[in-house]
Formats: sequence, C-alpha cells, structure tokens
Amino acid sequence: MAPPGRIRPVRRPLIAKAHDDFEPCWEILRDALTNIHTQDAGRLSFENLYRASYKIVVNKKGDVLYERVKSFEEAWFRDHIMPRISKLITTNLVNVALVQAEDTSLHERREMGQKFLRGIRDAWVEHNMSMNMIADIMMYLDRAYISDAGLPTVFATTIGLFRDHVLRNTLGNVQQVGQEFVVFDILNAVILDLINMEREGEIIDCNLLRNITSMLEDLYETNDEIPDQKLYLTVFEPKYIDASAVFYRKECGKLLRESDASTWLRHTKRRLEEEAIRCTTSLSILTKAKIEKVIEKEMVLAQLDGFLSMEASGLKSMIDNDRVEDLFILYRLILRVDPSMEPIKATLQNRVTDLGSEIEKTLKSTDFSVPAVGVADADDAVDGAEKGKAQPLNAAAQQTAAAIKWVDEVLKLKDKFDRLWQECFQEDLILQSAISKSFTDFINMFNRSSEYVSLFIDDTLKRGARSMSEVVVDGILDKAIVLLPYLSDRDMFERYYQKHLARRLLHNKSEIDIEKDMVSRMKTEMGNHFTAKFEGMFKDMQLSKDLGEGYREHIRQLGDVDTKKVDLSIHVLTSNYWPPEVMGRGSSQDEGSKGGCNYPPVIKRLQESFLKYYLKDRSGRVLTWVGSAGTADIKCVFPKVPGKESGPLSKERRYELNVSTYGMVVLMLFNDLAEGESLSLEEIQAKTNIPISDLTRTLASLSIAPRTRVLVKEPATKTVKSTDRFSFNAQFASKAIKIKAPTIASLSKVEGEEERKVTEQKNDQTRSHIIDAAIVRIMKSRKELRHTQLTTDVITQLSSRFKPEVSLIKRRIEDLLAREYLERVEGEQSLYRYLA
Amino acid sequence: MAVNDDDVCTSKYITLVSNDGFEFVVLREATAISPTIKGMLRNPFSEARTGRCEFPEISAPVLEKVTEYFHYWYKNQDKAVVPDMDIPVELCLEILVAADFLGLDKQQG
Repeated sequence: MAPPGRIRPVRRPLIAKAHDDFEPCWEILRDALTNIHTQDAGRLSFENLYRASYKIVVNKKGDVLYERVKSFEEAWFRDHIMPRISKLITTNLVNVALVQAEDTSLHERREMGQKFLRGIRDAWVEHNMSMNMIADIMMYLDRAYISDAGLPTVFATTIGLFRDHVLRNTLGNVQQVGQEFVVFDILNAVILDLINMEREGEIIDCNLLRNITSMLEDLYETNDEIPDQKLYLTVFEPKYIDASAVFYRKECGKLLRESDASTWLRHTKRRLEEEAIRCTTSLSILTKAKIEKVIEKEMVLAQLDGFLSMEASGLKSMIDNDRVEDLFILYRLILRVDPSMEPIKATLQNRVTDLGSEIEKTLKSTDFSVPAVGVADADDAVDGAEKGKAQPLNAAAQQTAAAIKWVDEVLKLKDKFDRLWQECFQEDLILQSAISKSFTDFINMFNRSSEYVSLFIDDTLKRGARSMSEVVVDGILDKAIVLLPYLSDRDMFERYYQKHLARRLLHNKSEIDIEKDMVSRMKTEMGNHFTAKFEGMFKDMQLSKDLGEGYREHIRQLGDVDTKKVDLSIHVLTSNYWPPEVMGRGSSQDEGSKGGCNYPPVIKRLQESFLKYYLKDRSGRVLTWVGSAGTADIKCVFPKVPGKESGPLSKERRYELNVSTYGMVVLMLFNDLAEGESLSLEEIQAKTNIPISDLTRTLASLSIAPRTRVLVKEPATKTVKSTDRFSFNAQFASKAIKIKAPTIASLSKVEGEEERKVTEQKNDQTRSHIIDAAIVRIMKSRKELRHTQLTTDVITQLSSRFKPEVSLIKRRIEDLLAREYLERVEGEQSLYRYLA
Repeated sequence: MAVNDDDVCTSKYITLVSNDGFEFVVLREATAISPTIKGMLRNPFSEARTGRCEFPEISAPVLEKVTEYFHYWYKNQDKAVVPDMDIPVELCLEILVAADFLGLDKQQG
C-alpha cells in the first residue's frame, strides 16, 4: 500500500499497449458473436468480452467496432437466416397469401400459414435474444461512443436488421403475383387470413399470433425507434382495420338479408366481445378501441335503420313485446355509437304516444254498459238502488268506469316504460326525459286527463275506505301521484280534485287519514300553493267537528228539551276552500236559491239556536245554510194499511230514512198533508223554495227508485216533470230498517259535455285572473317589455300550474291596456310600459 | 432469455474476484447498481452460471472499495440523507477508472 496522501497513478495496461490491440480484441468479439448466434456462449466470460469492447472504445476505435458488428450481423442474416426464411416461403404460400387462390383447403391453408409464422417467430426469438446479449457486451460502446456520436444504440441497430433483412426482403418478381413483394406482405396476409378463419369459427394458434404481433410492436420504422412508428401501428394495423371493415360489412349485409334484429344484436355484441378478447390474446391492446370503432361503424351504424325498422323483430316489436334483453343490448350498442340516443329516441317516443292514443281509442270503442267487476262495486247508484240487477250502468257510471280504465291503462303503460328504462336503458337520463315528454304529450292531448286522474283517485279512496287494505290503497295512490307531474293543466286537476274531495269529506266516503296522506304527497310533488285549498278543507272538517261537539254540550247544559228530537251535525265550510258547486254558488242555482230554502219550523229553530251559539265568539260572520250538501236521518212511521191482514203491510212499520236535506224538507211537507191529498211539483217548489234542479233530483230519488219509493208519483213515469203530482205512499214497505235514499248528486262521475264546458269556462275565468296577476307582477319589476318577451315570461312563470294559451295572454294584455295598468310605448311596436 | 435454470447460479450472493485473487462476496441485489455486473448475470455467460465475476484488471484494494460502495448504496438507496463514504485519496483515480468500467457513472434505477 502506498502511503496515504499521494494519489496513485492509474495502472492502465490497456491504454499503454492497446494501440495495436484492435484486431485481437475484435477477434475475441467476432468469435463470441458466432457463439452467441449458435447459442453456445455459456463457457465465455462476459467480463472478458466486455473488456474487449471496452478496450476498443477506450482506444477510440468505437466507430470501427460499430461498423464491424453491423456488417457481421448483415452477413449472418444473409448466410444463415434468410435461407431458412426463403424455404418457408413456398410458391404455394405466396399463391394463397397474395393471390388468394382458392384451390387449397382451409386446413392446408391454416397449417401452411402457421408453419410460416412459426418460422418467422423462431428466427425472431433467436435474433432478439442474441441482440440483447450483444448489446450487453457492447454496453460500453453505447455509453461512451454511440451516445456522443448521436447514432442509434447497438441494440436498435442490430434489432432493426431483422426488419431490413427479413421483413423488407424483396423476394423478387414472383410470376403469379406479377409485382414485387416483401416478406412483410406475406406475413400480413397470413395473419389476416388466420384471423378471418378464427372469426368463422376455426381454432388457430393465438399464442403464435401474439408472438408475431409483439415482434411487430418491438420493431420500428427506423432505428430511431420513435414510439408511434412501431411497425405494428404503421404497417399491420391499418391493413387489419381495413380487412376487418370489409369482413364486417359483408357480415352485416348478410344478417340484414337473412336474419332478424334480435340475432343481429346478439351477433354484434358477440363480435365486440370477441374482438376485445382477440386484442389481448392475439393482437395488441393498442388496437382495441380502433377495431371496436370498425364494428360500431360497419355492424351497428351501417344498417341501423334497416334493423330497427324490421317488422317482426325491430325496435317497435321489442318495445311491444317487452324484449328486455334485446333492448338492453341495443341500448349498449347505441350508447357506443351515439350517446345522444337519437336513433332510438324518436321511435321510443312515438311508441309511447301511439300506445297512449290507443288507450284513448280503445276507451271510445269499449262498451262500458256492462259493469265490470269491481268497477260496478264502486258505483253508488248501483250500490244504493240497483244492486243485484244486471241493469246496464247509467251514462255517468259508464264514464266513471271509462275514467278508471283510462288511468289504469296509462299507469300500466307507465309501468312498462319505467321497467324498460330501468332494466334496459340503465336509467339513461336522455331517454327518461324523452319518455316523460311523450307521456306529457299524449296525456295532455287527451282533454279529460285531469278529470280522469282525479276521478281515479276518488274511486280508489272511496273503495279503499270500504274494501281494500291500506297497503294496496297506498300502492295505487303512489302510482296516481306519479301521473300528476305529467298533467300540464294543473289548475284543472286542482278544480276537479277539490270537487271530488269535497264530496268525499261531506258524505264521509273515505278515511280522513288516507286523504291527508294523499294531499301531503301531492304537496311534495306539486308544491304548497297547490294543496292550500285542500288543507283548508281538512281544517274546516276538524273545526266543524269541534264546533258540533261544543254545540251539543252547550245544548245539554241549557237543558233544552225541544232539541232532543233533532240532532244536528254541521260542517262549517270556508267558502274559498270549497268548490262553488258544493257551496251553492253554482251558476245554475243562483236564480232559485236567492231567497234560500224554506226550512220547516222545527229545523229553523235549530238553525237559529246554532247560529246564536256560533256567533257567540265569532261575531260578524255570516252563515249560509247549504241544503243541497247535507243529509238527514228521519225516523218515520207508516201506519197499518187497512184491509191488509197479512204481510208487512198488515202491521205498523218504522223505518229510518236517510235522505238529503232537501229530501227531508220535502218529506216534512207531507206530514201536514191529509191522507189522499197530493202536491204538484210546482206547489212543492213554491212552498220550499228549493232550486228546481235540486228539487227534481230529490223527488226522483224519493218517488222513482223502487227501494225508497216513499212518495207516489202521478203519472208513474221514469222522469220527473213539472206537472207531476206526488202523494204519500202508504203502501211503502222494506225489509231493511235503515234505508238510504240514493243521493244522485253525490255521485262522482265524469261530467257531461255541458258540465264540462261550464267547468272549463270557470277555469278559464280563474286563469284569466292568474294571468292578469302574472302580467302585472312581471311588468312591475321590468317596467318596459316587448310583447314576445312578456308572453314567454308569463308562460314560464305559470308553467307549474298550467299551460296558458298565447291567445288568452294576448287578450289579457289588451284588457290590462284598456284598464290602464299598462300602456303602449309610443313609436315602438309591441312595447309595453307599466303604469304605476 | 433462454437460459436453463440448471445453468444459472441463483444464490443470493455473488463473488467478485480481483486480479490478485482476492474474493469479495457481495449481496446480488447490491450489485444491481452496476449495469456491467447486471449484464454479466442476466446473459448466459459463464458468470451467470458460476456466480463468480472475475476482474483481471481491478486490484484487491479497489475492488474492496467497490464492494463497500455496493453495500453502501444498497443500504442507503431509499434514504434522503446519507452519510459520506470514505474514499482514500491515493485510490481515487483507480476507483474512478473501475467505476467507469462498471458503469457506475450514472444513477441507475
């Protein structure tokens, strides 16, 4: 060891005596290269070889070494590898690969192709391994010379030789082909041929293919090894894509001619899966997206319309027959090619609208005169008077049945599409809004939808109170709620629902809990303002109950003996919350009821007593008695009929009659009448001052319906005319003690044409006011606005309640102009200004 | 690489031999920093078979330092703060040449 502190000079025997060392070193290396190629390098020392190349490079002979290695490898290719490759390329192979001669069997072709590929692969594997070893030996050359000289590395250069000397080797003008070709051409053709065989169901050596394609991925166009210049990408892949396009175009055409949409869907799906697998087993993952595009284009898009419009298996048939799986595949395919869903959106929408209109059409052609089971059950008229008789339903009941059927069918349709949407369309948002839109369209195309939906709920609630379990009712109502958002004329629905709800509440036809539940559900669905009236109605009911109890308590304390005969139960209704018909403010009743009904004295006393009690802590309020909305229980006694010795008529009969308030008033008249006397309709009207239409109905229920015929009508026809006379029916008999007179008005039925017009008219009036308010609101904040803008704003603002007609808005604007809420801005067309 | 398993030494340690016959046993993984030794061991040459790498042009003191460096690198390769390694001044030129020969001039992964 030298003493510390002095740097020992480097002993470099190499540098010292290496000036003429090149040839010996190269000889060592040259022999080693041969050994490496013949796979006989095991006994060589790496260090020795590395040191040899190191010495050469250190002695600045790197360039010579580089060239020597290159020419050595070129010679090796020429002398050892190409002869083997040439042997593989038989005339037959060239024929099959490039001329597509058909005279060889499939099996032969496959074996020949695979043999060729195997030859190429073996040569490649050997070459690749040798080049790796050589590159490692020459590591110092790469480090010290090549990176400075800006040349491709030893490995890139030597591996590239395979490309230049094998793949790009011109085999000369072969006669059958008539043109020059290189080994690469044959290679491509063989691979494509094998893949097509596999597509037709043959089994091929996928591993071999993968070897070959990964070789192509390892080779580049030039020795610079630019990443996107892989031979796989630049040469093979384009050819593969083109060939696949041709293949699939042909296949799709064949399917269109010979098969159906269902097969096509499944086939296309399978092809997509196959290609994805092929990319991992035989080719490169780089190709996956591209080949999928090819299938999307050639198999899906190319003949999409053709398949979708197929009569027996196309989209229409898939929807109609709930072919869930087909639709699911279809959705997935469309999602690939067009996420906007255009190709199936329109058909889907048309199907909804068509099926929707079909419901309406069926409804029109269905004969509802034969009561359906369950529906008949719901009908009060049948319930009260005609049960057990196979009598045709009256017109109103038929309409009710139609309404229920319509809603049922619409719900079924909705269910169907919801299911398809969930199971097939993966809850696609675009399709959801498309379907919803179509539902809105056809539901609103049908001008009675608001009324029908309300009727349906009405029917469910009424029946629910009687016969169904809460869970069932819940389910049905849930569905009904679903339909509400589709109604664009919500104010119409509100009006109908109010009417129906009023009847149910006043006649105690439903469970108040379920009613409240329903309304709260509507509240979540439609907002507060929508249900304000309904909630008001519930409040009135509750208040009335308390009030009635309070009053009875009050009477008991007074100890008033007289009132014991008549028990009063009362509903005090706030007129704003309740529908005008119920409140006796209906237009048809205005004339007759001006003076109010003349109640019998005993009732009058009762009314006065209640009023006194009511006003005790609510002075200033006005109570109006609405006779048309109430009912009365009357205990009546029918004396023994003289001359009858047996049967029910031979005894005195006591019945409890439940009639409308008007019915009670009418019946009380006959109390004062002597036996045998009769009253004409006009006389009754004059005495009671009951509006004529109500009176007619009341009398009809008391004198026509066979079970409650406590009055005898003269003549005994089925209708009530103003000249008819009525008298007490002493012969009346009934098996039941409690008898309920059919309250015709309490039937929730579809309105007749006349009634409907009236409802619509009223609705239009309300709408006018709402529009007025909206216009004023908007103008107040905007001061000046153009006509079109104003119209749009109004529509937007009101869209949650109804869809106002443009002409109506225009009329309202004109009206507001006339009333000087607005003025036209001078010199400006269609510009309005708000007048404070 | 097509090397038969029988032919390959798979021991965790390899032996480095200096020009004067000194042997240094070193953890195989620790030599991974040198591309030259890596190349020796991954190709089907005699070194891979025997696990012995002979260096006829590196002296024992230098090779000892090299071995020390291998372990130093191996121990500290993942650390942010590392102690300095002591290099005797009189050896530094020779070590430099050896490092160049072994490809230790570049940071290897």
